[in-house]
Amino acid sequence: MSIIIISSDAMEIEETIAEKVAEAMGYSRLGHQILADVAAKYQIDPVKLNEAMETTPSLFKNLSARQWRHYLACVEAEVYDYLLADNIVCWGLAAHLYVTGISHVMKVRVLSGNSRGTMEIAEQKGISLQVVEKLRAGELQQRKKWSLAAYNYDETDLSRYDLVINLDQIDPEEAVKTITGAIEYRKFQVMTYSMKCLSNLALSARVNVTLLKSMADINVQARDGSVVVSTKASARQKRKKIATIKELAGNVDGVSYVEVHVKKNILEETA
Amino acid sequence: MSEQPLKIMVIDDENIVGKRLKPALEKTGDIVETFVDGETALARFEQEPFDIVVTDIRMEKIDGIEILEQILAKSGRTKVIIITGYATVEIAREALSKGAFDFIAKPFKPADLRVIIERATKELRS
Repeated sequence: MSIIIISSDAMEIEETIAEKVAEAMGYSRLGHQILADVAAKYQIDPVKLNEAMETTPSLFKNLSARQWRHYLACVEAEVYDYLLADNIVCWGLAAHLYVTGISHVMKVRVLSGNSRGTMEIAEQKGISLQVVEKLRAGELQQRKKWSLAAYNYDETDLSRYDLVINLDQIDPEEAVKTITGAIEYRKFQVMTYSMKCLSNLALSARVNVTLLKSMADINVQARDGSVVVSTKASARQKRKKIATIKELAGNVDGVSYVEVHVKKNILEETA
Repeated sequence: MSEQPLKIMVIDDENIVGKRLKPALEKTGDIVETFVDGETALARFEQEPFDIVVTDIRMEKIDGIEILEQILAKSGRTKVIIITGYATVEIAREALSKGAFDFIAKPFKPADLRVIIERATKELRS
């Protein structure tokens, strides 16, 4: 009863390894394919949702910061709902960045390696090694920028993972065996505490997605049905904002109590 | 034929925890003894093994992880449940690696612990 989240510096490798691990363990798969369902559920343009998963907000791309946060929150809420089911291999949804503090989640980083990974991609795409290396360096830089902007988390920081595998040294088949072996460790088994933490994160995500639809600057913390929302508002808008948050959050399934903490929005006060 | 009541040990340096849990856990007919320090609890366990041990982690002299190790070294069949107000991923994983049956963060409702004890009971009686 565990969850494996796999990420890599090369998307193709991430998916290949994740698929093989899921097959070997008989676990369910949770990959980027669910983005179409997320777009349909939250009535978002699927092209824009995919774009939000890869790029940061920009006026040129017609993607505002609020829209971007809302799109990411939609994906998070959906991912958490799936993860509550357990025995899942997850990849391609940036879950390694926001599913934190859950002891039965094993996070794996697969490094495609300088020789093997580059060669495989060059063969697959029919381009030279130098072009692949240049493309990958650019992609990696972009992912680092995105992960820091979205979750203040540098995904290239290997100390954040439970297991790091370098495909230059370990064959893909051996990597699958290493991952399936490690998940058998007792420490990755589900326990009351970890399940409660996951349920709390799932509830926070559901409230977050509801609130971000109509407002920004929201921080949500849930515990056993009680939700604390921190936000900013001008003195004039404070009462109205608290009432709106209480109404919206209070209607989310699983919420029994809502508390709102408001800080002064200095920009709005001086405007 | 009714089954033998289980013997449950609760160890927590906050006296109130044992006071609250004892009546809640005794409702199902099990025998509950409470202790406010690990030394006395381990001495009692030496006299007579318990089926289930519920222990806090942060305590003076002997902490919950040490109690877990000593209990399992004496009686492999005993189910040890860790309770703590300072839960972290690292501590939870350490407890499970060392053989804890389950791990729950404080504050919790006695009913939450009862659910874990029911699971432990099933395993003990299977």
